[in-house]
Order: sequence, then C-alpha cells, then structure tokens
Amino acid sequence: MSGHTLSSTAKRTYWLGRYLERTESTARLIAENGNLMIDLPARLPHSWSPLISITGSGATFATLYEEPTERNVTRFLIGDLRNHGSILSSLGWARENVRTLRGIIPRQAVEYIIELHLYARDHLSGALSRSRRAEGLTVVPALIQQIEGFMSANMLHDAHWNFWRLGNFVERADMTTRIIDVGTDNPLQTADAPGPFTDLQWRSVLRSLNATQSYLTVRQEPIHQSAVVGFLIGNRSLPRSLTYSLESLRNGLRTLPRSDRALRAVNRLRRFLQSSEIENLEGPELHQFLDGCQVQLAEIHQQIDRTYFEFHPRRIPQRADRSADTQPTRSDST
Amino acid sequence: MSIKWQEYSAEGLWDELITAGGRARPGAGSLCRMLAKLSDEELNARKAAAELAIRSMGITFTVYTGEGSGSIDREWPFDIIPRLLLKKEWDQISAGLTQRVKALNCFIDDVYHDQRVFADGVLPREYIEKSREFRGECVGIEPPHRIWSHVCGSDLVRDSDGRVYVLEDNLRVPSGVSYMLENREVMKRVFPELFEDYVIHPVDDYPARLASCLRTLTSVKSPQIAVLTPGIYNSAYFEHAYLANAMAAQLVEGSDLVVGKDDYVYMKTIDGLVRVDVIYRRIDDLFLDPDVFKPDSMLGVPGIVRAWRAGNVALANAPGCGVADDKVIYTYVPDLVRYYLAEEPLLPNVPSYRCVDKEQRDYVLDNLDELVVKPANESGGYGMLIGPKASRAERNRFARLIRANPRNYMAQPMLKLSTAPTLVDEHAEPRHLDLRPFILSGASSYVTMGGLTRVALRKGSTVVNSSQGGGSKDTWVVDLE
Repeated sequence: MSGHTLSSTAKRTYWLGRYLERTESTARLIAENGNLMIDLPARLPHSWSPLISITGSGATFATLYEEPTERNVTRFLIGDLRNHGSILSSLGWARENVRTLRGIIPRQAVEYIIELHLYARDHLSGALSRSRRAEGLTVVPALIQQIEGFMSANMLHDAHWNFWRLGNFVERADMTTRIIDVGTDNPLQTADAPGPFTDLQWRSVLRSLNATQSYLTVRQEPIHQSAVVGFLIGNRSLPRSLTYSLESLRNGLRTLPRSDRALRAVNRLRRFLQSSEIENLEGPELHQFLDGCQVQLAEIHQQIDRTYFEFHPRRIPQRADRSADTQPTRSDST
Repeated sequence: MSIKWQEYSAEGLWDELITAGGRARPGAGSLCRMLAKLSDEELNARKAAAELAIRSMGITFTVYTGEGSGSIDREWPFDIIPRLLLKKEWDQISAGLTQRVKALNCFIDDVYHDQRVFADGVLPREYIEKSREFRGECVGIEPPHRIWSHVCGSDLVRDSDGRVYVLEDNLRVPSGVSYMLENREVMKRVFPELFEDYVIHPVDDYPARLASCLRTLTSVKSPQIAVLTPGIYNSAYFEHAYLANAMAAQLVEGSDLVVGKDDYVYMKTIDGLVRVDVIYRRIDDLFLDPDVFKPDSMLGVPGIVRAWRAGNVALANAPGCGVADDKVIYTYVPDLVRYYLAEEPLLPNVPSYRCVDKEQRDYVLDNLDELVVKPANESGGYGMLIGPKASRAERNRFARLIRANPRNYMAQPMLKLSTAPTLVDEHAEPRHLDLRPFILSGASSYVTMGGLTRVALRKGSTVVNSSQGGGSKDTWVVDLE
C-alpha cells in the first residue's frame, strides 16, 4: 500500500478492537457474577442488576424486560440482538467490520473472527441453561485470546495495528473502571459484622479482571477494597489496570500523526489519577472518581474520533482559504 | 482413465490444442505428451494442488445469493490444462488490438468535439444522439493525450475456420485481469516442470504497466493514485483490491473521497486530507458523481466530474467513454479504423447486420432462427436472442422489438466457438472458450501477453461467465523452439 491509512479503515479497525475487547470483558463479567452467586449465602442480598448498570444499558433493558432476574439479565447481555451491546451484537458488528478489512487484517484472523461469531450465534442465542452458559462464556474469551495472539504475532504493526490497539485499550480502560464501580455499590461492605463475606465482592472484581494472582504477587496482602482499587487503577504492570491502558494509549498515539489533542486528553486523565488519593476513596467518593474517569475516557475517544475519523466540512478546502489545519498533505512516497 | 488423445475429438470445431486429425498443434506437443503420461492419481493430485493454491491465495469471485442475504465469495473455477497461443500469431492479434483501440479512442474524442465522423458521413449522427452512453457533460473536455478508454478488454473468439474475430470491446470498466495474473501463479505451482520445457511469455508486468499508464495521465511528479471500488459487495472486489495492492495504490470507496471547493479531489486519511491525482475507477459512469449523474448514487463522489473537468484529477476510464461500447457502433469499427488511421483493419469483426438498415433488417427478420441478436447497450449477455436455441415465441418477440426500435439491435451469425481440452473427471473433453486480452492506452499503449481465457465448463455450452458455470484457463503465449 502507499503510505496513507484511510480514515475509514482506521475507524473500522479501531471499532473492531473495541468490540472484541467489550465482548471478552462482558463474557468474563457475566461468568464471574455467576460464580459469585454460588459463593454467596442465600441470606445476603445480591442481584444481577449491577451488570445492567455497569454496561450502561438500563434504559434498553427496562423496555425489553420486567425484572432483572438472572435469566433476563444474562439473556439480555449475551444473546439478545435488541441490545446493541450484547455479546452477540458486538460480535455481529465485529464480523461486519472485518469483512471490509480484508487486506488489512491477516486472512487467518478474519476467519477466526467469522468462526467466533458463528460459534456465538450457535451456542449463545436464546435462553441458556447455567452449564451451557458457563461453557459458552469460557469458550468466547479463549477464542478472542486466540485472535489477539494471532494479530499480535502476524499483523503488520503499522498504523492500522495502532488503531486496533487504541480500540482495545479505550474499551479496556472503560470496562475496568465500570467493573470496579460494582464494588462501590456493595451491600456486603456495610454489613455490620465483618466476616468471611466482607471482601467477597472485591475478590470477585479481581477475578472478573483475571487479576487475582497478579494482585497477590504484587500486594502480598489480603484482598480488601483500598488495596484492590489502588492496584486496578494504579499498577503500571497489570495489563488491565487503568494506568497500563493509559500508558498504552499514550505510546500508541505518540506514533500516530496529529495526535496532540488526543494525547492531551490522555495526559489530563493521567494527571487526574496522580492527583487523586485513590486508596483513600470510599463509597460515593470512589463512585464519583470512577465517573470522572469515564467522562475523561469518553473525551479521549472523542478526540481520536474527531482527529482521525470524522471530517468536519470546515476541514475541507475552500476556494481561497486554507488554514493550517486544513492544509492538505501531499504524498511523495508512491 | 487418464488422458488419451486418440479418443479426444472436437468434431467439426476448431480445437486450440489438437488438430482434426488428432495430433497436437504446433507447440502443443510436449504439453500433450506430458498430460498423457499422468495417471489418474497424478491428475487428481495436480487438480487438488490447483484448488489448494486457489484457496490459500484467496482467489475468489463474489456471487449474489439473493435478496437481503448479500453475497458469498466462491473460489475461482480453474482448469489445469493451459491454452496455447503461438507468439507469432499473438503479435498479429496484438497489433490488431492496438490499432482498434487507437481508432476507438479517436472516435470517442471526435464525438465529444468536432464530430467530423458524422459530417463526413461515416456513420449517422442519430446513433450518438440516441445512445444511452453519450454524456453531454463530456462535450469539449480534453483528457490527457485525448485518450478516453485507458483500459479496454476486448473479447476474442476463434471460429471453426481458425480465424480470430473480435466479438466485442469492453471500453468502460472491464474486469478479469487479476484472474489472468493469478491463473499463471497457480499454474507455476501445479506444473512447474512445464515452465522448463516452454518459453512462456510472462504476464506479471501488467500491474506495473497499468501504474505507469495511469502516471502518464497527470503532470504531477509522484502522483497519488487511487483505485475507486463500489465496495466489498461488488463481484470484482477481489480484483480491485488485488490491483490496488499490486500497484501500491490506495484502494478507496466513494465515501473515502471528497471534492473541495477548490475542485481538487482528496482522500480522508489519518494524516488529514491527501490530494488524489489519478483515479482508476471501477464504478460505472452513472454512479460516479451524484451531482451530475444518478443523484441517489451512494457509491460515487459528489463533485468528482467537476474536478475532472477542471483538469485537477484524471479519471480512468474517462466518463463518457462508453459511447463507443455499443453493439451497433461495434459494427462500424472497421470503418472507424480506416477513417481515423487510414489503415486497413488487422483484426476482423464478426460479420454483423445492422437492423437500422432496411435491407439488413429484412435479412435479419427472415433468418432469426440462425442469428444471434444483440441489443446495443447491454453487456454480460443480457437481452440477447440466440436464434437457433430460441423458441418461436421468443423469436417473434424479438422481431417485434427490432421493428419497434431498429437502432437498438444488431445481429450476427452464430459462431462455432473454438474448444480446448478441459479436464472432466480424469479425462479431457473439448469445451468452448474465448479470450479477453487487455489493452492499456496512455502516453503509449500496451497489450497483455495473451489474456484471460474463459471456458464454458458445461458440455456444449458457450456461456463463459463465471457466475453462470464458466471457468478459466491459464493462457500461454509461447515461442516455437
């Protein structure tokens, strides 16, 4: 190819990265919530509704279902095409995007993505028994890992690759803050008597992010809220921590042209993290902090979108008016 | 069973490889001997190797599967027995094609300027005025080198007398060249030993030739070239991507491009807007620019014709070039060669009758059961009458159509297309074929070495389109040693 990356293919690669990351996070989150239900004693309150709020789909859910029962919530999040954020919907978008990315995504990875969608369609549609659900939610993240691994090892690490990774990390950062947020609305936390269940929810948060072993290795202390939150937000080596995602976004953006605005948005969030005493935040304050992170992540996405994907009419050359921003570049590389 | 040439017979037809007496034609000897030596297992192994190569190289064509469900990619049907052409014969054909396309480009340019050809009485003016492919928007435009059809694919057939005729010239957006290139790659994998026995002229310089042809259409020193595709659902998308890749050009869809108020064409990239100097467009005229042609076209680029008229972007092929891609204009091509070039045509047309002429029309109407009737502006075999195979009712319907709109029809005798041995199970059977070479025209011209041989895989069929049971063969232009 010549030296240019089309906005349209960059955008689809970015969204492909987001859809697959979203699918994987959602699958692990649902699977882990199922585990948590098994661990919890019946007398303690717990429901499936936090999963709806995490995924920000409360309004859609309310129009489609009456009660946030296990059956309704899992069906809504897994195989319901009326929910545009469901696993099956996300994989449908991913498949549609990948069709238009032939020649950019390695052919084998394209086939893996198509197979993944077919698997989900065949195994995760409609009502599922607990055991079928558990199996499907194990297979889907494994297949996504296979795709990620294949892409990483075989795709040209060019601008498209960069957009794929940006999509991964924007989505991952967002999901990490949302998953931590489950813990802030924790009925177990305020239970009068501390007992074996007090930090159950935080153990579950760690498991949702595949981070239990890493936590124990790094922190070498029992699992409790402030340590878990500090670890998942601030650790520089944990691939699913917010800080790690931000560092990855920063590195990716630095290799792309015209990235100053998006980089400024990333740096604003980094400073926000540094200036917050994360381990001292509790309850509503923590929730507010995580909300702030999500707003800033949305801003990072906006900047990426505006810089690389969308062309405002003002940026298209006028007859005798060419500001610095609209100055077209010329290729000398063909 | 394996291949036994003594049992092979193309009765009454011209076969490209085997003479009526059952002998190999000049140049085909070693190929035929080698094929006859292969056992069933070996033949099947080679066939499987070809299929594997096609799969792993991802050579596909897109077939629509019906409403709503979109399309699927099928693997390219390929026959492993190549078609041979002697270099000496090919040089003559090639010269004839060059001459023909040169005259056609002169004609298109004349149509959009002085229209001398009508004033001088070579063909009637009303042909053009009524042509669906005439674009008033193109009048007075002077494209670089005054070339309008930069990439032409002409379909050649050989009749039972062994003569090669031009069946039609595809001057708009001909496709198939990527399959010509891929067929050769597959063949090298399947029969590497044959490439030692033969001096086979390479075909793989085509993308480089196309790129340099496109570069001659602009004065920009290192021009940005883009291939404009209607997108992944187009049957030739594989080819669009293939050529863009092989030319190191950018593959774009209409929505990737934008025309500024400065009348330049830009593509939207992550670096910002990048000017595009030459566009090899694989979209039909009418979909190219919703500002000028079909206003509801989602495939095109608003303003692109304005940019072209301003000379700020080169379009290949130029809008309006289809005016010469008309079955009735076709009947005049030998006259056009004489008129514009003052030369005798080197390649014959298939003898044709113009229905607009009373005498010829009467002959056509009296002999509909022996003729093929073609409408002026359709392609891909649509709207045709194949007299000998048609029912009486169909022939009557065509008689009415011809009388109602004689300008829109021409007729030709039914040719007996030549055949070539084609693998059926484990033996060879004759199957009809044609040949589509590609002719490039820019500052200079170029003809592919051979072209794409399309073969009708069904016994007796002459339909070579891949969507309707056609396949292809590698085409070898060889030197006689």
